[in-house]
Amino acid sequence: MSRNHTSRTELARLGFTDTAVATERLATLPASLGTLFALAADPDQALRLIVRLRERASAAVDELLAGQDAAAHLVRILGASAALGEFFERHPEQLAVLREPLAALPTAAELGTRLAASVSVDDVRVRYRRELVRIAAWDLASADPLEAVEPVAAALADLAGATLDAALTLARGSLRFPATEVADMRLAIIGMGKAGARELNYISDVDVIYVVDAVDETSVDRAVVIGAELAKAVSHIVNGNSVEPALWELDANLRPEGADGALVRTLASHVAYYERWAQSWEFQALLKARPLAGDLELGLRYVDAITPFVWSSAKRENFVDSVQRMRERVTEHIPAEERDVQLKLGLGGLRDVEFTIQLLQLVHGQTDESVRLRDTLGALGALAAGGYIGRDEAASFARDYRFLRLLEHRIQLANLVRSHLMPRDDERLRVLARASGQAGGSGELVELWQATRVRVRGLHERLFYRPLLSAVASLPGEDFQITSEQAVARLAGVGFVDPEGALRHIAALTSGLSRRATIQRNLLPILLQWLAEGADPDHGLLTFRRLSETLGESHWYLRMLRDSSGTAHRLMRLLSGSRFIGDLFLNTPEAVAWLSDDEELAPRSLESLLEEGAAIIGRHTDTIDDAAAALRGIRRREILRLAIAGILQLRDVQQLGHALTDVTEALITSALALARGTGVDGADDGIEFAVIAMGRYGGRELGFGSDADVMYVYRAITAEPAAAQSRAEQIVLALRRLTDDIRIRFDLDEGLRPEGKNGAIVRSLESYRAYYERWSLTWEAQALLRARYAAGDEVLGRDFEALADEVRYPAQIGDRELREVKRIKARVEAERLPQGADPSRHLKLGRGSLSDIEWLVQLVQLAHASTVGELRTTSTLDALDAAAGAKLIPISDAALLRDTWQFVARARSALMLWTGKTTDVLPGDRAQLEGIARLLGYPRGSAGAFEDSYLRQTRQTRRVFERLFFD
Amino acid sequence: MDKQQDFVLRSIEERGVKFIRLWFTDVIGSLKSVAIAPAEVEGAFAEGVGIDGSAIEGLTRAYEADVLLRPDPTTFQTLPWRGEVEPTARMFCDIETPDGEPAMADPRNVLRRALGKAADRGFTFYTHPEIEFYLMRSSALDESGQPVPVDTAGYFDNVPGGTAHDFRRRSVRMLEDLGISVEFSHHEGGPGQNEIDLRYADALTMADNIMTFRTVVKEVAIEEGVYATFMPKPFSDHPGSGMHTHLSLFEGDTNAFYEAGGQYQLSAVGRRFIAGLLKHAPEITAVTNQFVNSYKRLWGGGEAPSFVCWGHNNRSALVRVPLYKPNKGQSSRIEYRALDSAANPYLAFALMLAAGLKGVEEGYELPPEAEDNVWLLTDGERRALGYNALPSSLGDAVRLMEESELVAETLGEQVFNYVLLNKRSEWAEYRNQVTPFELQRNLGIL
Repeated sequence: MSRNHTSRTELARLGFTDTAVATERLATLPASLGTLFALAADPDQALRLIVRLRERASAAVDELLAGQDAAAHLVRILGASAALGEFFERHPEQLAVLREPLAALPTAAELGTRLAASVSVDDVRVRYRRELVRIAAWDLASADPLEAVEPVAAALADLAGATLDAALTLARGSLRFPATEVADMRLAIIGMGKAGARELNYISDVDVIYVVDAVDETSVDRAVVIGAELAKAVSHIVNGNSVEPALWELDANLRPEGADGALVRTLASHVAYYERWAQSWEFQALLKARPLAGDLELGLRYVDAITPFVWSSAKRENFVDSVQRMRERVTEHIPAEERDVQLKLGLGGLRDVEFTIQLLQLVHGQTDESVRLRDTLGALGALAAGGYIGRDEAASFARDYRFLRLLEHRIQLANLVRSHLMPRDDERLRVLARASGQAGGSGELVELWQATRVRVRGLHERLFYRPLLSAVASLPGEDFQITSEQAVARLAGVGFVDPEGALRHIAALTSGLSRRATIQRNLLPILLQWLAEGADPDHGLLTFRRLSETLGESHWYLRMLRDSSGTAHRLMRLLSGSRFIGDLFLNTPEAVAWLSDDEELAPRSLESLLEEGAAIIGRHTDTIDDAAAALRGIRRREILRLAIAGILQLRDVQQLGHALTDVTEALITSALALARGTGVDGADDGIEFAVIAMGRYGGRELGFGSDADVMYVYRAITAEPAAAQSRAEQIVLALRRLTDDIRIRFDLDEGLRPEGKNGAIVRSLESYRAYYERWSLTWEAQALLRARYAAGDEVLGRDFEALADEVRYPAQIGDRELREVKRIKARVEAERLPQGADPSRHLKLGRGSLSDIEWLVQLVQLAHASTVGELRTTSTLDALDAAAGAKLIPISDAALLRDTWQFVARARSALMLWTGKTTDVLPGDRAQLEGIARLLGYPRGSAGAFEDSYLRQTRQTRRVFERLFFD
Repeated sequence: MDKQQDFVLRSIEERGVKFIRLWFTDVIGSLKSVAIAPAEVEGAFAEGVGIDGSAIEGLTRAYEADVLLRPDPTTFQTLPWRGEVEPTARMFCDIETPDGEPAMADPRNVLRRALGKAADRGFTFYTHPEIEFYLMRSSALDESGQPVPVDTAGYFDNVPGGTAHDFRRRSVRMLEDLGISVEFSHHEGGPGQNEIDLRYADALTMADNIMTFRTVVKEVAIEEGVYATFMPKPFSDHPGSGMHTHLSLFEGDTNAFYEAGGQYQLSAVGRRFIAGLLKHAPEITAVTNQFVNSYKRLWGGGEAPSFVCWGHNNRSALVRVPLYKPNKGQSSRIEYRALDSAANPYLAFALMLAAGLKGVEEGYELPPEAEDNVWLLTDGERRALGYNALPSSLGDAVRLMEESELVAETLGEQVFNYVLLNKRSEWAEYRNQVTPFELQRNLGIL
């Protein structure tokens, strides 16, 4: 045939990829068909399937091909769906459906009638697929496929409903219960999720809940048994094994108590559950509930009974938590290999759109019934009509949503499998582009999709947060404005306690024409979203406002906020999570710059801190007080650095303890150098002088807000004894004065020295020796367990440690001494707690908290350190490990003690970071507990859980302590 | 505002209610009440009513924090007793922290949490208590230091024209008026002793009902000029007042204890639940039998269940599997017999449920049933059969409870602590007594 030579090009233009095969195959068909294949998403597939169908049923196919419309439908269907091609191969007689009028989608009533005629499991499924062909044919033929998304999704939901009705009828005939009883059994199938909202996909799980009715209480039993059997039979009919393949999964897991709950319940039992047990996120699922099949009257009663729960629950209980839950569903775990091809999950996916719309519905639907719609697009329209979001934006997002749904529809139609993944290979992308009619080729389609994803990713910010700005200032380019009441409702909905105040801060940050205001107008929506994720968004926003006012127009600051979203996110997390940090940032605003660089957040080594201190002393030779101020500034700066690292969980509590110890050591060392350089005799003052770290400082286990326990020692070299003593006392006074800081309190605590408050503030090494030889009190030995040379003359420091070793690691210790330690501990417990304090809540001296563990470890050290070398350490945790290693403390007990010590130490630091105040009592106030829990990494709403685990852990520890310490 | 709340507001209006009592319970199980005016009810629903949190800590108050009472509109009832001059209604309250979280120290919340955990596994928990109590002439004692009962009748005796008869009739009427269904009521074994059985309900409703029941019984007694007491053992020589409680678990609308072919129609869940109750019975006794006096009942003989074992229709066993009624799968249940009428029903139910569920979860083996009267066995026999004893005093019970993670976890650390504080101090005060027994026994000869 001569035409064939010219048509190779022609065929390629129609969309065939293998023109040689196409030529061959087309030759067997009427010539007029050729150009029709341009209508097919995949012409090669359409052609191949038509040829195959003709082999099986040439008469039926040819009859179809004779009609222009029917032939076009066939080509479109086979080009878009191999699965429907297989359906026709199984049932060629069903091809006839394509000759029926397909100008309109089937209505719910039509679907109901046609499915109701089903006589068997296979018949239901064949009828279902025949209607699916009708819907797909209409869908594929529509002039604007984007506009078709909504009616198609609705028709698919209606088809699911009609199918369930048909299945229910069949199921009733199959049960082994008395026929009249089964026939009288009232069962409603409630559609949830997309089936409920009439926005179903071509293939997806159909979410349902079953409700039965019972005439009286005695028949409940029976109703539930029969109802459950019916539900199982229905599920089998749509999804069990049979000749014709299964349709889809019927998922009843949204029912009360989820997969563990009873499959079927009475209406009263449902209501009782929602009244008593339901979590508030469960109510949000009910937002989509609709009678789908079965007894409609019962279904309507169910919906009427549960609707009030949706809107009243949003008003109070833990609304913010459930929002968080919804958000988690958006970003729930996506396998790494799917990340780039997910249409549904992830930011910018379909679920992201659904989340934002539902959140807006729940916030504004409390007062405005007009936004209480089930389906996503309808709700979007209603929100725009109600003035909650801009009309243009609503239109734009509706388009994006339809686009994503259209891609999903076409992907699922191809093989009728549940998939939300974009194809990866070019060929399938090309077919998808043709199937959707949205792009000319694979490249263009991917570009379009990516652009949509980016727009949708910003959706939440644009629709939820940006309008908040419009409530306080008219923004250029915004076509609508929400009222301040609406803005307040939104801010309250995401956790602002004082939404009016927040709105004032927003106004202050965004008003004006300055560059800063402009940038902040652009950024604030996303910043607000991040602040709302923290425990105290109100305070975070206030601090951010003050910080912005301080840093003013600093270019780096604005640039950093604008260009580095990671950094801005961190800043918001810190500001809304910690008051301590907020205050420090206001003093050291330039620290904001560290947030973009983890290197900057690593603790500085002691060496480099000392170098910096030495440089300062070198620079300020004449003004000691200025030098000291600069040294104290270093300490505050480093504490801020460590606080940031702590909150961002870049360092653990032990690492922070070491780093805080280094910072303290650096300040004392430098200040001591400064103090000794100031003497009458200059640096050479005739004595050696050293600072000995004690307590937690000695153990290198400092927390935020810990005092530094110290003792001072000197040795006369050239000076006379009396002069040496007075010289040492001068040094101590100077050291105290130079290190004293009111901004972040720094206290040198000398309380552990011999004779305590009544003792000399500083002693010579010889005096210490004489004292210990003479008195050798057990509690002095115990205090020395954590004595460690920290600053000053090292030789002297080491000599002191050697002296301490003799006292603290006695070769033998008598029962009397050990009993004395226990007795003192018992007395201290009664006396040292502040008046009226609850021992179970004191982090330092309380029941089973830090000091219990430390005393126990020290008792073991006193008794065994002379023989077990590993016990000779100032660190509580190291000594604990050594004690466990030497089987002096049972391993499991040691593990508990270690856990508790770290937990309490972390809680204590978190308490300081959260409140910005030094306190050792676990607060009873929920908001405070919540803040501490969040810093410890608990999820939102864990105040009670954190408090309970603190009390439990310390109670268990106390039991171990009492057993090991006193017995 | 939801429909239930609307209903309450409308009812207040329609019935001309002048006061609304907000009811809640402290850790010991004493009913507490705050009255508000009708105008304040709407605010109470929306924002709660602030009170001092130490009100729920029992007698030893350790820690003070403000809490909110949040009335539960489903519990709204007008109070039928004559003592109220003007129409008065009541609602039970949940206790919340100022930020709207359930208060950890609220006994009602303890039970809610335990029930919530069961609901996570698909179970709802139903109880049916048989509440015994004594009617006395008054709360005063006679010259020999004994209370005086209103009659001298016995088990199921019909006392013509007797106070107890009228009393029960009137109480039952009043309970029904309050929406509490009564199954059964009769005269019990002791003089002046009565029993009223409440129709089974879910455990939270039942705990509320028991609190109401005690109030109703006390109120009716006052109307009839007598005194009602739930003291576990007011007479050495007569039976104590227990609160045998039938327990059942439902999965949706189906009884989870029932299995058609099982021994006594008990399912595996049922058997394991019993095993859990038995294993943990000693450590929950400080709550199920919370007073010094409770142990006088537990160890006073008669039918008191002093030993940890189970039996089918064995009235000396701690857990009894009652006679099964054919074709009533819904009624499968077991009876826990240690509980007494003075327990805090919220905490006791929470612990019984937790103990049973522990058995279900961990798949405890049920030991063989006790077929003999356990009281008639020798110590050696009981030891051979593995029947442990329940604690013999409050002091013992408290020590066992202190060691129990199950109790701590179920009550939550705070309630756990409050209960221990209360019970330790009660035990310490009791030990300080020099009793008539010692004086009679020892003074003459020493």
